[in-house]
Amino acid sequence: MRRVYVIGSALTKVGRHFNKGYKELASEVIDKAINESGLESVDLVIVANMLSDSILDQLDISTILMQNLGMTKVKALHIETGESSGLAALEVAWTAIKSETAEKVLIVGVEKATEYPTYKINKVYSKVLDYETESIRNITPPDYAALIMKAYLRKYGLKREDIAEWPVKMHENASRNPYAQLNFKVNHEKVLNSMIISDPIRLLDTFPIGDGAAAIVLASSKETGSSKAEPVELVHTSSAVSVQVHLRDDLTKLPATAAVVSDLRMKFNEKMINEAAIELHDSYSIYAYLLIEELGLAARGEAPKIINELEFINVSGGLKARGHPFGATGVYQVAELHKLMTSGLAGRRFDGKYAIAHSMSGPDYNARIALLQRVI
Amino acid sequence: MRHSIPKFWRKREGYYQILLTRCKTCGRIAYFTYIKCPYCGSGDVELVRSSGRGVVEEYTISYYRIEGAEEYLPRIIALIKLSEGVKVTGELVDVDPSEVSEGMEVEAVLRILSSDDPHGLIYYGLKFTPIIKGS
Repeated sequence: MRRVYVIGSALTKVGRHFNKGYKELASEVIDKAINESGLESVDLVIVANMLSDSILDQLDISTILMQNLGMTKVKALHIETGESSGLAALEVAWTAIKSETAEKVLIVGVEKATEYPTYKINKVYSKVLDYETESIRNITPPDYAALIMKAYLRKYGLKREDIAEWPVKMHENASRNPYAQLNFKVNHEKVLNSMIISDPIRLLDTFPIGDGAAAIVLASSKETGSSKAEPVELVHTSSAVSVQVHLRDDLTKLPATAAVVSDLRMKFNEKMINEAAIELHDSYSIYAYLLIEELGLAARGEAPKIINELEFINVSGGLKARGHPFGATGVYQVAELHKLMTSGLAGRRFDGKYAIAHSMSGPDYNARIALLQRVI
Repeated sequence: MRHSIPKFWRKREGYYQILLTRCKTCGRIAYFTYIKCPYCGSGDVELVRSSGRGVVEEYTISYYRIEGAEEYLPRIIALIKLSEGVKVTGELVDVDPSEVSEGMEVEAVLRILSSDDPHGLIYYGLKFTPIIKGS
């Protein structure tokens, strides 16, 4: 079967780009990624974006983007699966190449989340939950993160301060990442005294609202074009859906993530996860702890003890500090891992064989995973 | 208009009382009116009316500001285990945040979810309030 290679990637700093629209942000990363790949053209463009309808007043964003960038000879698609849209775009691109319907695919993740005040963005973002049963009744994603965090603390007899290390680590990582939105350092005291969002979730447990764009070029052959970066193979993509929070027997488990991790374990060497560089979806710091446990990097309830032993986990600073431009985030993760495995990211280079991107929407309503492998 | 009128009207039964979906295939019961069982996908389901009473399992006091519900801050959002053994997430009202605790007995009440102020529609739905002992 055909193989899929990442032959180019580009990203822009996540932040408040008031002077740039989505077209400008996307154009910049498309040019850079295509240039790195050495390609003249691609067969298919997939745009990952979550807020185009509600915030940009734009339907069919992939068509409009292609029209504006003089790319009308290319097939284009828009993918939206909430916060995990970026990895969903990657999944579709992977399938297109594997099935021989495309040879060269450009994935663009773009989001403009700062076009309106935060309370409006909060409202729209809350629609990743079920409108008819949850968001219409004013239930929001941080509320769920708070309920899940309290359940975790109770189950394992932990105190709030026992799980304040994650944001500190993420801000430390982000301080070295030129593409991160929050590149300042914080300490435990600052985390624990920051503003309450949904108790016990505080401001420094959550991601900042920011704009961003990232792009990846995938191709069926590593010799395609004249790639300036070392090729990395995209060997696996997978996704799963879980039930709503109120239908779960145990709040401390993330069922969709468990399913994609189990799939990964079945297909690859079990030890691979322990040795991989990982970017995971820490939209709220409690999720980082649960995800580390779902990935098998720590026993249940033990994640807080091993946070500082994890070296190549969210080198970018994660959603927490690199930022979370919603639909673009999954594309960021893969672009960051690609950089980390090739030219380097945040002053570091990962020499290991595997890298994993994990993304989810809401409280694990869907989860997606992508596995990169160094080409030897 | 904050919400579509037909969309709200269509779901009125489920918004004004707690209806549960009981699956005749897998036997599980779930909060809300699902077309198919959210656990097993079976279409062989029936709606059952809940007593509307339960206990708080977890709760959070939320200051997360969302457009259209600014006046209800802070919100107390709780995961409630109904007497039927089914869990539902909902807002707690008529109680000071400092008085909420896990295990607190609550019952469903009809309250305003949001409104098209100052002269528009008012959207009602269920919230929860503590059961006063002896009542």
